[in-house]
Formats: sequence, structure tokens, C-alpha cells
Amino acid sequence: MFDTIIISIVILLLLVGLFFTVAGTIGFVRFPDFYSRMHATGKCDTLGEGLMLLALIIYMIGYEGIIKGDFVHALFVSIKIILLILFILLANPTSTHAIAKAAHDVGLEPWKKIDETEWMNDTQTDEVTNGGETG
Amino acid sequence: MTGLIHMPDFFLFVAIIIVIASFVSLYRGIEGPGIFNRIIAVNVIGTKTIVLLVLIGFIYERPDFFDIALVYAILNFIMTIAATRY
Repeated sequence: MFDTIIISIVILLLLVGLFFTVAGTIGFVRFPDFYSRMHATGKCDTLGEGLMLLALIIYMIGYEGIIKGDFVHALFVSIKIILLILFILLANPTSTHAIAKAAHDVGLEPWKKIDETEWMNDTQTDEVTNGGETG
Repeated sequence: MTGLIHMPDFFLFVAIIIVIASFVSLYRGIEGPGIFNRIIAVNVIGTKTIVLLVLIGFIYERPDFFDIALVYAILNFIMTIAATRY
């Protein structure tokens, strides 16, 4: 019974984390602009990987620690994964902010919806404003 | 394991999905216009690799991989900061 509850929680958390990771990847490929791509990846990756590592902690303590009875080993491994989660929660928003600030300093323009007539005229300059090859 | 699902097989399934997502991100890293898309593609693939290393440590039951995942996380963060500052 206890076994089934632990396994169910672990599978649920892993699938939710996998959903967020795949959604962030789809947003990273499909969004039209650099800033909106970063909006997709910056949050979805942090949350999805936090959930997946949390599922692995629960698996480690519940299955390896309590059912198999090797509690000290499970505790040490769990402390390592908790440190990993804390570092991801600190580092991932920081690096996202650093990339966004660097792009803003270089002068990348955010993407806007423009009229079709302007878009017909702007096809030549589209690579310059959207590409950022000068950075 | 007495349950219905052999748990390392499920971890292997999750790891395969993460690898596929990494290759989809690699498309944006190769194709994406400009240098910032490439930097953020490297960042995304690196953070996926951390979870992948922890999952490999669970699949093969070798706890050494968690240390490698910690070192990889720190290296990925420092690399991103250095690439954006200079």
C-alpha cells in the first residue's frame, strides 16, 4: 500500500515536470522573437526540472530509504539533489536575466505585430532588427 | 519492485523524452538567428542535461553521477554568465 502511494506520487510529479519541459521546448522553437523565446524557456525549465528532481527525492527517500532500509545512503543522496534544486532555482533566473540584459544593451528590438503593408516593405530590414548578428 | 511498473524503465522513458527535447532545442541553436538564440539554446540544453545525469544515476544505481550533475550545473551557470558579459 505504502509502496503504491510512493510510486504514484513519483510518476505524477515526473509526468508534470516532463509536460512543463516539453512545453518550454515547443515554445522555444515556435515563438517569433528572442525575448518571447526566453519567456518560454526561463520559467518552464526551472519549474519542470524542479518538479522532476523533487520526484526523484521522494523516490529515493520513500523507496530506497524506507522500504529497502538503507536510510543513511538515501539521506546523503537526497541532500545532494536538494542542493542541486536550490542551485537551479538560484542560477536559472539569474542567467536568464543576464542574457536578457545583454540583448537589451546590444539593442535587440522586441517583436511587434505590424500591418501587412509595412511587413511587405520591411522584408529587407527584417534580418537586421530581428537577427542581432552585430552582437 | 513489487508494483506494476518496473521503476528504472519509467526513468528510462523520461530520459528518452528529455533527449528528444534537447535535440529539438538544438535545432534552434543551429538555425536560430543571432548569437543570443545560440547562447540560450546552450543554456537550455545544459539544464536538461543536469536532470538527464541524475536520471542516469538512478537508472544504473550509481550515485557518482550526482556529483557530476552538481559540477555540470555550476559550469553551465558560469559559462552563461561569461558568455553574456563579454
